[in-house]
Amino acid sequence: MRRAWRYTRSGLTRLWQGLREWSGDAAYERYVKCTARDGPKAPLSPSQFYVEQLNRRYSRPNRCC
Amino acid sequence: MKRLLTVIVWIAVGGTGAIALATIALHRGEPINATWFVLAAVCSYLVAYRLYSAFIAAKLLALDNSRATPAERRDDGRDFVPTNKWVLFGHHFAAIAGPGPLVGPTLAAQFGYLPGTLWLIAGAAFAGCVQDLVILFCSIRRDGKTLGEMARQEVSRRGGFIAQLAVLAIMVILLGVVALVVVNALKSSPWATFTLSMTIPIALLLGVYLRYFRPGRVLEASVIGVALVLFVVVAGQWVADSPALASKFTLSGVALAFAIIAYGFAASALPVWLLLAPRDYLSAFIKAGAIFSLAAGILLVRPQVLMPPLTRFVDGSGPVFAGKIFPFCFITIACGAISGFHSMISSGTTPKMIQREGHARFIGYGAMLLESFVGVMAMVAACAMTPGVYFAINSPATIVGATPEAAAQTISSWGYPLSAATMTGLAHAVGEQTLLNRAGGAPSLAVGMAQIFSSTIGGERLLSIWYHFAIMFEALFILTVLDAGTRVGRFMMQELVGRVWKPLGRMNWYPGILLSSALIVGAWGYFLYQGVVDPLGGINSLWPLFGISNQLLAAVALVVATTILLKMNRLRWIWVTLLPMAWLVVVTMTASYQKIFSPNPRIGFLAAANAMAAQIAGGKIPAARIVETHRLIFNQRLDAVVTATLAVMFLVLLVEAVIQWHAILGRGKEPVLYETPYVVTQWAEGD
Repeated sequence: MRRAWRYTRSGLTRLWQGLREWSGDAAYERYVKCTARDGPKAPLSPSQFYVEQLNRRYSRPNRCC
Repeated sequence: MKRLLTVIVWIAVGGTGAIALATIALHRGEPINATWFVLAAVCSYLVAYRLYSAFIAAKLLALDNSRATPAERRDDGRDFVPTNKWVLFGHHFAAIAGPGPLVGPTLAAQFGYLPGTLWLIAGAAFAGCVQDLVILFCSIRRDGKTLGEMARQEVSRRGGFIAQLAVLAIMVILLGVVALVVVNALKSSPWATFTLSMTIPIALLLGVYLRYFRPGRVLEASVIGVALVLFVVVAGQWVADSPALASKFTLSGVALAFAIIAYGFAASALPVWLLLAPRDYLSAFIKAGAIFSLAAGILLVRPQVLMPPLTRFVDGSGPVFAGKIFPFCFITIACGAISGFHSMISSGTTPKMIQREGHARFIGYGAMLLESFVGVMAMVAACAMTPGVYFAINSPATIVGATPEAAAQTISSWGYPLSAATMTGLAHAVGEQTLLNRAGGAPSLAVGMAQIFSSTIGGERLLSIWYHFAIMFEALFILTVLDAGTRVGRFMMQELVGRVWKPLGRMNWYPGILLSSALIVGAWGYFLYQGVVDPLGGINSLWPLFGISNQLLAAVALVVATTILLKMNRLRWIWVTLLPMAWLVVVTMTASYQKIFSPNPRIGFLAAANAMAAQIAGGKIPAARIVETHRLIFNQRLDAVVTATLAVMFLVLLVEAVIQWHAILGRGKEPVLYETPYVVTQWAEGD
């Protein structure tokens, strides 16, 4: 019973993480982790990062027919 | 033992698929259940994925999991981001799935269910998925270079320029024709017009929320947005029921065309966070939800397919669009079987996020199989309604007549019984004044979806809500393509014109942004306007033009892929890309020739122009309509020139490529391959 609960919980957690990754919800956290790894450079604020990310994404084909 | 079990399971899957395919192909007379379509498609996809994609991955491409991908080597948390393969599959599918696989099969249903369904399944397995996978592979090996850049490096400079120009031209035609689908769905419909126009303030609200209140919290904003959108779908009924409000939202085709043109301009010129991005979030969630519910609806309801396998219109006299099965069924289906536009997503965005080369098979080949399945579902939804109703919704007034009585009489005389009362009753049930003459695929698909959904939840009572939900879903989906496409088109235009006139190339120069936005919107707006005023309904001339250009782009992608594979010394398996490429060349060149030179005025652009000119010369056009007719003549000739230009551009690229192939194969010239050097992965197996 406990094992079933553990499996369900880990499955749901992974699903939730996947959804956050897919939708872009987790993009800022990933970016902060990435800049921390590369050295002591001050990362962009969440708002700056969000706008910068959108400008990049929507300047190349990202939606199809 | 385990191996034996696997073999037995795969034989069972293959056998079931073969039986289902034979059933839908050989069935005559009585209606056939939609479950056979689902079985035929799913089993074929499973076998194609298990066998053909594995063969391509192992033999043709030799995908190498020990090779570090661009996402690993250049991980920057922005563009190059190693992404879980399931998440990336979701990203890639959301990017490639557009309105094409919904509209194309619905239009091609006029030939009957069989030709379209078979091409959706076979075309995806042998052409569409192959293109997506091979281009993805080529781009991974080049740090995510775009198709244009790869064409320039690997084929020739001219080839690259042609590919870039072709993409821009296709974008313009695509945006014009999908905008026309929205106009035909919304005209004289206050409910649908209200719902769709309300999605703009909702998107603005989300834009401000995501920028200033909770930056980047996409999920919570999307939940709020989707709830609001569902509310305005229901609220549309109150607007339609109120005479004062309904008159404000009842717009003609021309008025709607100008409203959409203004919207496209605004979305391209305004900051992306304000309107475009939040609308895209909304659309992505509603798209995923609607596609999932359509699949669930078809499985639960298991509707009967009432359309015959082949209709009398295989002879080319179809009311929805003119032309025989070959080549027009293939041109019309387009995206659900193979879409050139996918090569823009497979190169550029997805390759920068892939963790392992081996994932390319699941993402490139797998996502396209799913897209093809969406096309099969659209085909089922369109064919599940009475054929008479299908033709009444999709045929232009000039062919079937403008009143329910006239349409019922004409369509019944074709052998598809229909009464005027059926059409008025159905229009009333879905909350519309009329459903006649709404060519474009969206309304008939919405009726089909609404009938399936209402059989699951709500019954007749909720038919109108489901219909408007389906219309909103398609229109929202199309406007997302429209605004994202306009913006990307603007960038392409700035890049191309910026080579000649430097200031326009500066991406942050506001007058340049406004000018290039106006140019690109003006270009697709022209095609849209032309379609709206076309007496044959616009879809008849514009959808084939779109299909030809889309399939030509696919041929461009396959030419580039074949060149790269030949340079990699994969001659033995080159037929994998060469055969679909040859097929596309035959289809697009035949279709282009017929669209330009066919003596039938419903097919040939020049014949249509000449027929109208003869009518003016013969005094058959009233004086008041002469100027308008001259404009129609000009439009037909313009369409002929556009088709010819695209075909010639492609042929030039093909000749350049064949010269390259000859040099590699015939003269044994050492090919120069612009691949990034091999770097071994630092990640453990199974990461």
